[in-house]
Amino acid sequence: MAAAIVLEGITKTFGPTTAVRDFTLEIPAGALCGVIGPNGAGKTTLIRMILGILFPDSGRLSVLGCGSAFGARDRVGYLPEERGLYRKMRVREFLAYMARIKGMPDGDIATEAAAWLGRVGLADAADRRCEELSKGMQQKVQFITSVIHRPELLILDEPFSGLDPVNQRLMKDLVLGEHRRGATVLFSTHIMQHAEELCDHIVMIHRGAKVLDGSLRATLEARDARIVVFEPLDSGADPAALERVEGVQGVERDAASWNVLLTPAVDLAVVIPALAAAVTPVRILLRRPTLEDIFIDIVSGAAGADGLRAGLKEAVGEGNA
Amino acid sequence: MRKVFHVAAREFIATVTARGFLFGILLTPAIVLFMVFLLPRFTTKSPPRVDGVVAVIDRSGEAGAELAHYLSPAAIRERRLEERRRLREFAASEIGSGVTAGAILGAAPEEPLGEVPHITVVTLAPDADPEREKERLKLSLAPRPADGVLLAVALVPAGAVVREGDGFDDYHLFVRSGLDDRLVDELQAGLEGCIRGARLRGSGIAPELVAELVRVERPPARVVTAEGERKASPLMNQMLPIAFMVLLMISVITSSSSLLTTTIEEKSNRIVELLLSALSSRELMTGKILGQMAVGLLILLLYTGMGLGALASFTLTGLVDPVILLFLLVFFVLSYFTVAALMAAVGSAVSEMRDAQPLMMPVMMVFMVPWLLMVPIGSHPNSLMAVVLSFVPPIGSFVTLLRMASGTPPPLWQVVLAVAAGAAGATASLWFAAKVFRVGVLMYGKPPTLRTLIRWARIPD
Repeated sequence: MAAAIVLEGITKTFGPTTAVRDFTLEIPAGALCGVIGPNGAGKTTLIRMILGILFPDSGRLSVLGCGSAFGARDRVGYLPEERGLYRKMRVREFLAYMARIKGMPDGDIATEAAAWLGRVGLADAADRRCEELSKGMQQKVQFITSVIHRPELLILDEPFSGLDPVNQRLMKDLVLGEHRRGATVLFSTHIMQHAEELCDHIVMIHRGAKVLDGSLRATLEARDARIVVFEPLDSGADPAALERVEGVQGVERDAASWNVLLTPAVDLAVVIPALAAAVTPVRILLRRPTLEDIFIDIVSGAAGADGLRAGLKEAVGEGNA
Repeated sequence: MRKVFHVAAREFIATVTARGFLFGILLTPAIVLFMVFLLPRFTTKSPPRVDGVVAVIDRSGEAGAELAHYLSPAAIRERRLEERRRLREFAASEIGSGVTAGAILGAAPEEPLGEVPHITVVTLAPDADPEREKERLKLSLAPRPADGVLLAVALVPAGAVVREGDGFDDYHLFVRSGLDDRLVDELQAGLEGCIRGARLRGSGIAPELVAELVRVERPPARVVTAEGERKASPLMNQMLPIAFMVLLMISVITSSSSLLTTTIEEKSNRIVELLLSALSSRELMTGKILGQMAVGLLILLLYTGMGLGALASFTLTGLVDPVILLFLLVFFVLSYFTVAALMAAVGSAVSEMRDAQPLMMPVMMVFMVPWLLMVPIGSHPNSLMAVVLSFVPPIGSFVTLLRMASGTPPPLWQVVLAVAAGAAGATASLWFAAKVFRVGVLMYGKPPTLRTLIRWARIPD
C-alpha cells in the first residue's frame, strides 16, 4: 500500500529547544493513525510540519506523494487544536470561504455544506452568525471546514479536547465515517483511551522523539499481561502480603482493588495461585497492558516511571474532565 | 493566485460591510457638508436684532448727527447689501461662481435681508457728565425703561476732530455688559467713520474724494496656459495641495489600520492556523493586503469623486490637473504597500490590540511628519527640506504629492526619483513583513519587541 505520509529524519528546533528530533515515520494510505504523547511532546509541531505550516530544519518529508506538503494542501483536511472561526460571518459563508481556499469548485460547495450541516444537526444554523452558536456547535462547524472538500488525508490535532461526552461520541463517529470513506486519518491526542478506541496504527512521541510506531493490535499483543487487578475479600487486608509473593514487583492501591505489577517473564500459572493464597480475593483479573502502561514502559528509561505515570494520569484526568 | 483573490475578496467584503466602516466613511463627508453648507448659515457676521439707545456726548459738535444717520436702519440695511455684494464678488474670483458658491454664501443680494437693529442715537448736551451716563449702563433691564434700553455711551471730545497740540484725542465708548460684540464693532466703525469725515471736512477735503482717490480695484490675476487663460485662485491654490495630501492620508491610514485590526482578530480568534493549512503565510498576507488596498481605493475614489463634484459645483474643475489624479493613485499604491505591510507585520506579531501600540509608534510617526510639515512645505514646496523628504519613503509620497499640487511643482526628475524611492521602500517593507508574518502569525504569549521582529526577519526561509 502506498504511503500517505513519509518522514525521514525530520528535526525542528526553536531556539535552544528541539521540538522534534530525527523523526522517521511512514503512515500507509487508508490508515487511521493516532499520534500520542503527553502535552509538549512535539505532536503539534510534527503535524504543522506535515501540513507545511512549519518547515523542518533537516530531513525530508512527503505527503500524498508530493515532495512538499504545500503541493498536497488542497487534498488535506486539518482541524487544529487551537481553532477559531470568523465570528461575524454566517455559517454558510464561512464554510464556503474555507472550501474555496481549499480549492473546492464553487458548484459543489453549497450542496456539500448543507449535507454536512444536516449530518451534524446544524441544518437550521446555516444562516446564523458564527458568534451566535454555542461552543459545541462551533466545534462542529470547525470540523466541517476540515472535511467539506473530501480530503484524502485528514489531520486532527486533539479533536476531542473541550467536547462533552455526547459530542466526543459524535466526533468519533464522524472520524470513523471519514476513514470508511477512504481518507487516511492522522490525529493527535494526549488521551490514550481515545487512541485505543479509534486507531489501527499508533505512533508515540516523547520529548520530540518517536518511541513507538506500529499497529495498535500488534503493539498491545506484543506485551505480556503484567498487571493483576486484585480485589481482597477483607477490605482491611494488608497489601504487603502480596508484595512478598515471588514474581511481584509492586502493589498499588486503587480504591477498593489493588493493581499488582508482576516482574517481566513471570510464570502466571505459578504466581496467580500464590497471590490467592497470600490474601483471599473476591476477584482476580489479569489485565492486558494499556497504551498508558506501554508508554510508561517504553520511556521509563528517560524519566522515572512513577513521575511519568503521575504525569499521564494527570493528562488523562484533564482529558476526561 | 485564486486563493489570494478569495482572501482579498473576503477581507474587502468583511471590511466594507461592517457597520463601523460605513459609519466612518460617511461621517467625514457629512462633517464636510455641514461645515460647507450649514455652518455659514448658523454663523452670521451681522449683529442680531437689537432695540435700544446709544447716548452720544459730542463735544466736537460734528459726529453726533452723522452717527445717528450711520446707525439708522436704512443705512445699516444698505451697508449689509453692499457687504453681501462684495463677498459674492470675492467668492466668484476665489472659489468660482457655481451653485455651491451661492449655497455657501447664502442669500443673493436681491433677496430680502433679515431684521436689522433699531438703534436710536440720542445726542446729549456737550457738558453732560459721562460718569452719570455710565451709571445708567449698570441699571437692570427689568422693568424695561420707558425711554428705551441704554446700550452704549459714546464720548467724542472736541480734540478728536480738531487737532489740539501734537495730535488728535481719542474717542471713548462705554457699553452695557453682554452687548453683542458685532454691535460693538458696528458702533466703533460708525464713530470712527464720523470722526474721520469730520476731520477731513475740517481740513477742507471732501471725504468722498479721498475715498475715491485711495480706492484701486484689484482684478484677479489670470493664469496663461497652453489650453488658454483662466483666473488665478490663490485661496484654492493653497487648499488643493493640502486636500490632496489629506485625501491620501485618510485612505492609507483607514485601510492599513483596518488591516492591522483584522490580522490581530484572525490571530486572537485562532483561525489563522486553519487558514495556513490551506494557504501559505505569504498568500494569506498578500490577500489581506490586496483586500484592504481595495478598501483604500474605494475610499480614495469616493472622496475624490466628492471633491471633484464640489469643485464642479464651484466651476473650478480646471484647477485640478488630471496628472495629479494619476499620481494620487501612484502614491497611494506606494505608500499603502509600505505602511500596510508594516501593519500586517505588527498585527501578526501580537495577539491583542493593546500589545500593538508600542510597535505602532514608529509607523504612526510616518504620518506625523508630513502632517506637521504640511504648512511649511505647502508654503515653500521647493525648499531643501521638502526636496529631501520627497525621497524618504513613505513620507515622500505625501510630500511629493503636496508639492506637485502646489503652484510651483517640483521638476520631473524629483518626481521620478520620489516614485523610485517609494517603490524601493514598499519592496523592502513587503519583504520585511513577509518574513515577520511567517513567524509571528503562529507565535503567542509575550508580545515581541521591535528587536524581536528584526530577529524574526533574519531567520532564513
